[in-house]
Amino acid sequence: MRKLIVTAALLAATSIVAQAADVTIGAVLPLSGASATIGDDQRRGIELAVEEVNAAGGVLGGKLNVIVEDSGGRAPSALDAAKKLVTVDNVPAVIGEYSSGITIPVGQYLVQEKRVHLNIGSSSGLVRQLGEGSFSLIGLDNVSSGFAAQDVIDNGWKKAAVIAPNNAFGQGVVTQFEKAFTALGGEITTAILYTEGQTTYRRELQQLERGAPDVYVYSAYGREAATISREAFELGIGAGSSPWYAIYLSMCTSDSDPRFIQGQVGMDLNNIGANGQAYADAYQAKYGEGFRSSFNGYGYDAVKMLVAAIEKAGSAEPAAISAALVEVGADYEGATGPIVFDADGQRSKQPYEKLKIDDGIKPR
Amino acid sequence: MFEFLLHVAIMACLYGMLALSLNLQVGFAGLINFGQIILFGAGTYGAALAFANGFGPVAGLALGVAFSTAIAVAFAQLGRNLGADYWGIATLAVAEVLRILITNEVDLTGGAQGIAGIPLIFGDWPRPVGPLMTLGLCLVILLAAWWFCRRLTESRFGLALKLIREEPMLALSLGYDLNAARTATLVVAGAMAALSGFVFAHYVTFVGPDQLVAAETFLIWAMVIIGGSGNHLGAIVGAILMQFLFAFVPFVKDAFGAPAEYVAAMRLTLVGGGLLVFLMWRTQGLIPERIGDARPAPATGRPAAARMVEKHNG
Amino acid sequence: MIQFVIDVVIRSVDLALIAIGLSSVYSLIRFPNVTLVQYATTGALVALGLQMLGLPLIVAGLLACVFVGAVAVVLNVLIFERLLTAGSAIAMIGSLALSMVFSAVFLVTAGPRPQRFELDLNPPIRFLGARFTDHQLISVVISALAIAAFALILFRTDLGRCMRATATNPVLARGTGINTRRVTNVVVFLSGIMAALGGIGISVKGEMSAHLGMEMLLPIFAAAILGGLGNALGAALGAVVIAVAETLVTNVNFGPLVGESFLFVPAAYATAASFLLLVIVLLVRPHGLFVSEVKRV
Repeated sequence: MRKLIVTAALLAATSIVAQAADVTIGAVLPLSGASATIGDDQRRGIELAVEEVNAAGGVLGGKLNVIVEDSGGRAPSALDAAKKLVTVDNVPAVIGEYSSGITIPVGQYLVQEKRVHLNIGSSSGLVRQLGEGSFSLIGLDNVSSGFAAQDVIDNGWKKAAVIAPNNAFGQGVVTQFEKAFTALGGEITTAILYTEGQTTYRRELQQLERGAPDVYVYSAYGREAATISREAFELGIGAGSSPWYAIYLSMCTSDSDPRFIQGQVGMDLNNIGANGQAYADAYQAKYGEGFRSSFNGYGYDAVKMLVAAIEKAGSAEPAAISAALVEVGADYEGATGPIVFDADGQRSKQPYEKLKIDDGIKPR
Repeated sequence: MFEFLLHVAIMACLYGMLALSLNLQVGFAGLINFGQIILFGAGTYGAALAFANGFGPVAGLALGVAFSTAIAVAFAQLGRNLGADYWGIATLAVAEVLRILITNEVDLTGGAQGIAGIPLIFGDWPRPVGPLMTLGLCLVILLAAWWFCRRLTESRFGLALKLIREEPMLALSLGYDLNAARTATLVVAGAMAALSGFVFAHYVTFVGPDQLVAAETFLIWAMVIIGGSGNHLGAIVGAILMQFLFAFVPFVKDAFGAPAEYVAAMRLTLVGGGLLVFLMWRTQGLIPERIGDARPAPATGRPAAARMVEKHNG
Repeated sequence: MIQFVIDVVIRSVDLALIAIGLSSVYSLIRFPNVTLVQYATTGALVALGLQMLGLPLIVAGLLACVFVGAVAVVLNVLIFERLLTAGSAIAMIGSLALSMVFSAVFLVTAGPRPQRFELDLNPPIRFLGARFTDHQLISVVISALAIAAFALILFRTDLGRCMRATATNPVLARGTGINTRRVTNVVVFLSGIMAALGGIGISVKGEMSAHLGMEMLLPIFAAAILGGLGNALGAALGAVVIAVAETLVTNVNFGPLVGESFLFVPAAYATAASFLLLVIVLLVRPHGLFVSEVKRV
């Protein structure tokens, strides 16, 4: 770190004044709408990283600013926000969003504008096709669903019923899980895409139950996840020998009443790498609670990687950052574990954890 | 900043088309359409489906207008026997059913992931020439639509519409075909909304069902009511005003240091509160309807829609 | 089969209370008041807040209902009476606008995260293979009592007679000495109570969020319109019809028809079912299933 600061100071001293100016990057997050809990948590990670960077002397001798804009969980608002960040605030890089259906148009726009895009929350396979200048810090759903399918099979569950939200994320999870699970010799009894924002999911749950599966696999967020867990408990579905298996357990249970999710198992992003403990402690100290979801670490890593790339490039120009990010991403040790980009700028390895709920999230 | 203003201006033109279209229905024919956004969706999906299946933009526009015409005719058929408020709810229901259909028929429409990568208009031109030309195109379309609407409503057909709106029984007894007139209005308005959707798809380059939620319809309603229903210029002014207010909410947030989630609340308050204030204290909107030809003073403060429904209920 | 009936009943009462409120107000002031769904959210939110302050749920719920009823009357006097002078469509759009303002208030006060009531937890009760919880049972019973009480007021009291007289012919009602404005406000108060009770009922059985009301909007309108707007008890029947349609769509197994063991209509279409039903009924019976009103042009 000290070396970095010295380099930055030298750079600042020797180069033109403009380079000592503050560096501003942007973020588009769902701070309102159905995914607001996650969006807020993403913002916490970003905030922590910015504080750390500025405490350590900032970037290129200047201060680091992040302008966070709310997407409202709507693609048009997210695009407006991205356009504001690019054309008014003239940021070289934008972090975001969370839902795949929003990340994709935002990423497309940023690639069009030749700005750097860092995906920190969307796992849809379509993100890969965004093109040069778009990077993913999170493993895409073929990776995560493959891991989940293997885990389910390893537990001896051969027949699975799957439920996920009827949006870009859920459609991706169901398709990829089905593909991986049947390839491993499993059978999908029922796959349901539920409509978001309903007060009850009893019908969907009973449709799942008809197939008499060995395991109920679900991936959901916010209020719907809470309602699904509650109603499954009330209907006694998953209480006996067929348990609930959550893809992204912390996301599925962040808003649930702990009594209804007791005994669920699942997998999640291993958001704590070898270097992650310091980050986890800082989070705990600042917000007075443990991680609220598994997504904050990616925001933190995104800011840290961007700063590393800007320092490496010695410039905050988008093209330079993009080129430097490729180098940084050849071997980066983030709070969420090792981040290695493949040829498409996507995280090639994503460590996952096997977890269970037993008075809180515990390793299995 | 200049490019952001360009973007907001382009969006204002597209919303202006939607407001003109809704105003034709509400302000002139007295049709309370709460499914307006699906007519816009006909245009966006026309463009997207043509692109996804390898057809050119001309086919996309044709497809969009074909969709909007089909929906408009269905709306009109639905309206044959219904009172205005019932019909409003029915159009809302149809729009929602179609949106659910689009979300679920993944093979056909790309489902919730939508269809991305639609070619950008003037994408080959250097910036900021491309966006400037897009704005020019949108302005031309908007002005042409305005001119067309004025011609339409000043024609015999427009007068018939007003008669139908004010005195449906009298119009019926004079031999006017209510159903045909309303169908024609809906088809024309639908084509205008589809055109707006088509340009939107080629400007934003992404089409998805999230763009078609009911809240978008209510936004267009706010534009028409605030601008002044029954007046074409009013609808356009309302659209431009609302779009600029919406776009600049984040700047207000930056200025006051308010948390980002307040942006959503502020937008809701703008639409809802603005609508309410105008409905209560200036029902005729910013630019009131002109009653009669070339006579400037409005004879009544109440807007077309209100009078029409009163007739229905009375 | 019994599970089917239970599911239908639970879904019906979720919809019925608010739909009854909507319909009864419509009978007097001839416009569908969208804000009623937001009264439901307000009721749940206020009850939740009062419970957090330490009040028992029943007291909190009652206070919230009365509060919402009062809010409904105040808003009716301040806003809707004025809007109605401009016509029913204007009043309806105004109620939609007011709902948006409510949404903004919920976002700022309650935040976007879901919340829930503090309740004891009991395992599901099993009855002939069907499963339900005591909260669902209590909620259904309270709702049924509320509907019964409403029916009693409507058909057995002087107030109810005044209400029905005002609904049928306001001019004549005024002529016979009925204070129609007061009667209207009493009905508005009652509708606020019904909506708040509905909102609390839904939240007790599940999660409460700022978006609750607007998300219930179409199914509730579908129920009220099916029952014939203005016919309060018809709205309750409409709610049952909607609940049956939604539950049936996802429960009928088409598998045997095509030689597979399971083939259901995707659950994502359950919501579409009620809207589609609404459209079809409006095509055939333009004023709902349970109304024989003179056809309007």
